[in-house]
Amino acid sequence: MADLAEIEAMIAAALPGAAVEVVDETGAGDHLRATVAAPQFEGLSRIDQHRLVKAAVRARFDDGAIHALSVKTQVPE
Amino acid sequence: MFDPQLKEKVEELIAANPVLLFMKGTPEMPRCGFSMRVVQVLETIDVEYGAIDVLPALQPLRAVTSEISDWQTFPQLYVNGELLGGADIVEEMFESGELAEALGVEQPAVAAPQGGQAPPPQSPPLQIE
Repeated sequence: MADLAEIEAMIAAALPGAAVEVVDETGAGDHLRATVAAPQFEGLSRIDQHRLVKAAVRARFDDGAIHALSVKTQVPE
Repeated sequence: MFDPQLKEKVEELIAANPVLLFMKGTPEMPRCGFSMRVVQVLETIDVEYGAIDVLPALQPLRAVTSEISDWQTFPQLYVNGELLGGADIVEEMFESGELAEALGVEQPAVAAPQGGQAPPPQSPPLQIE
């Protein structure tokens, strides 16, 4: 069971200036969807954008709080 | 820790197959919804691809792809030797037309692999006589 606010904060801390929204897809708290718009994504491939997001929350995968995280990334306009 | 021999084998497969999908199950019988979604995209886009079922050696393969591509989850789609992404990225790139571009094929007229609303039929190409 992950703390959504904590996950959002972890992503925001790794990507300063990012707009981050994390929602619980199943209601069980372990399958999450993150929508992230970050200036750091500029010029990166999608896979690298996703790597940045996943790396930010790696600790919560490793401790089992999250099982699945869908990620949608965008470069802010 | 990863198995160096398995890593070598995986790298050979990635090099030998321009489009290679590591998935749970087979294209005929996917064993995971995310893998199924990528198969559906590849079938819709009608590209030739190799598929490897990771389930018989899930943990060793996870360790190897972590090492090769810094990516732990399956499915993984490799195009021309590079990891393009998992289900989220493949679907997003399919819908935007970037996947067809990366694969060097034409975007199919029907943009949604399943359940989505089909776009209005295209007018037939003009004929020059």
